[in-house]
Amino acid sequence: MNAAAEAEGLLIGDALADARAKAGPLQVHDADPAADHAALRRLALWATRYTPAVAPWDEKSGADGLFLDVTGASHLFGGEEKLLDDIARRLAHFGLPARLAAAETAGAAWALARFHAQAPVILPTREESAALAPLPIEALRLSSETRATLRRLGFRRVGAIIDKARAPFAARFEKELLLRLDQALGRAPEPLASIVPPPVYHSLRYLLEPVMTQDAVIAIATRLMRDLVHVLERDGVGARALRLALYRVDGAVTALDIGLSLPTRSPAHVARLIGLKLERLPEIEAGFGFEALGLAVTVAERMDEKQADLAADGTCTTERMDERCAELIDGLRQRLGSLSVRRLAPLASHLPERAETRCAATASPAASASFPWAPPDETRPRPLLLFARAEPAEVTALVPEGPPRRFRWRGVMHGVARAQGPERITGEWWRQMQAPTRDYYLVEDEDGRRFWLYREGLFGRETASPRWFVHGLFA
Amino acid sequence: MSPVHHSGCPRSRSEIVEKLRRLLPRLEGLSAGTRVFSFGLPALDTHLPQSGLVAGALHEIAPQAPGDTPAAFGFLAGLLTLLPPDRPVLLVGGIADHGRVCGHGLQNFGVDPARLILVETKNDKQALWAFEEALRSRIPAAVAGMIDKLALKMSQRLHLAAGDAGLPLLLLRPAKADEASAAATRWRVGSAEAARDRFGLIAGSRWEVSLERCRNGRSGEWLVEFDHGAHRFSLAAPLADSALPHRGAAPRIRRAG
Repeated sequence: MNAAAEAEGLLIGDALADARAKAGPLQVHDADPAADHAALRRLALWATRYTPAVAPWDEKSGADGLFLDVTGASHLFGGEEKLLDDIARRLAHFGLPARLAAAETAGAAWALARFHAQAPVILPTREESAALAPLPIEALRLSSETRATLRRLGFRRVGAIIDKARAPFAARFEKELLLRLDQALGRAPEPLASIVPPPVYHSLRYLLEPVMTQDAVIAIATRLMRDLVHVLERDGVGARALRLALYRVDGAVTALDIGLSLPTRSPAHVARLIGLKLERLPEIEAGFGFEALGLAVTVAERMDEKQADLAADGTCTTERMDERCAELIDGLRQRLGSLSVRRLAPLASHLPERAETRCAATASPAASASFPWAPPDETRPRPLLLFARAEPAEVTALVPEGPPRRFRWRGVMHGVARAQGPERITGEWWRQMQAPTRDYYLVEDEDGRRFWLYREGLFGRETASPRWFVHGLFA
Repeated sequence: MSPVHHSGCPRSRSEIVEKLRRLLPRLEGLSAGTRVFSFGLPALDTHLPQSGLVAGALHEIAPQAPGDTPAAFGFLAGLLTLLPPDRPVLLVGGIADHGRVCGHGLQNFGVDPARLILVETKNDKQALWAFEEALRSRIPAAVAGMIDKLALKMSQRLHLAAGDAGLPLLLLRPAKADEASAAATRWRVGSAEAARDRFGLIAGSRWEVSLERCRNGRSGEWLVEFDHGAHRFSLAAPLADSALPHRGAAPRIRRAG
């Protein structure tokens, strides 16, 4: 209900026809709570430029405002007054008239923002009782039944409840009344659900002039990381995941997430990964430029002190090599996608297609594999190239359970010069009942090319017409 | 050789040739500290400059026919045994539609599958970027990959990147690839009948290897065998130089100059 509407004499709850009668032509829009919610979220993301702990109000509190936890952030602006001024000014630029209040507790701030006569207002410490006393009961975020009952009983101002004995209230009303009162007065805690998970370490820079180029963004991100290095060192941790937030002049916020395989404190490495990520993403709309950048460490991990880099001619310690390998893998992942860098790891299975797998690459191979590779067995040769799905082949053999003599694969006929085998691999009965048995043959054709064929199904015992497949190629 | 007396030119012909031979590698950018990987087979090594594959260079390996691609890849895997074993090997991309690299099969070539880092790329541009990135980091012992089209400028760039890093870049090319390239060596590999032991089991892979192009070297053709037990190259009997021993000395890395 804004001021213009009140001037026309409209009241909340009027029927549309009555409203039109009172005020003449009106623009009618259907209430769209989903869009309102989304808009509030965007505003909350914008507000993270002041502090990462921003919580939009939920439905019961009105869903039209935000809590900002500015503990420790107000000194960056030269005091709470200047901070509130800054917020009010920017919101006015967006065309959003706002009422602002700052207090020690969230409950008191909510009450003052809603109901105080003059806004903005900053409440000095320990004056919550005095400030809340003249406000109406609605200033405590209570359910409508509680409010109605309180009014019926004659409690109209918060001051009427504050200093009374608590036991009768506890008996007649739900816990909510006393809880809200205690939260507003600071006697009970009120946890806020931030819209972004509050990071462990973060640093923020406001820029005098908005920046638009990628190089400038990377340079500022490097400086932000340098700001964080000494706190990370002090706590003995390194960053495993980072989030870079870019705040546009017109209020939109873009966030980039960077993941690393080993904890790092190196600004150069982080800058390189950010550069790669920016190259890989489609155009980030800079609009009129970014006015603030924030870098937050979302996951931190223990990181021990290491020696400085030794000679660059390749003779370096294993830890240094692992670290540089991790940096290489990180860089490749940023540019090509996080699943694009893998290592091979063996699995415990007889079936060749299940005997090994690809897993995410880590700097040192020992970390990837759960158990070591078995040494090769010369009676069980394995091909250099294996098909994930064996390809069918048409085979003519002298006897049905014997080695192949000729086969056709991918449209080409091959005559078999020598066949080595069979190596019998039975199916994994614990995974699939009646899994067919395979007889593998290492087959060399007349041109000297070597193939790995198998016959699926024992002739006579399992199937009357066994099928043949090409499973791999030998070098 | 007796000195030839030319008026005003006291040096003998052999001295001049020797001086030129020493000069050429410097012109090519190979300094005294270049590392070289030799096969350990004199019949092969004498065709290569400085008796081995230069470490910091681009080397191309192409199959004779599309069906020989596994053989070409096997030759590449054998080359990996000549390199220091403690560093990872980066393999960028796949081997076209010939299946995926099998770690158990790689063990037969003396390459520890745990060393391999596989990088998947969506197109040639990403693959080229990945090659440069890996070479620049100087971490791997070698960078290998398969690439379809390689323009001359790009091959020069890769060759320079490999030279800066001092690491070999081994590229598999398709069978039809014939364009001009800045590679130091270009090999062509065809399949051949395998070497068998007395039970008829395959003891080693054999390939018809021809060195098509070699900077500062000579081309040649050999029947090369890779022993799966000893993880060594050797020359199969028919084409080996009969004056030299059949199984060469163990391959080693030498510093040139």
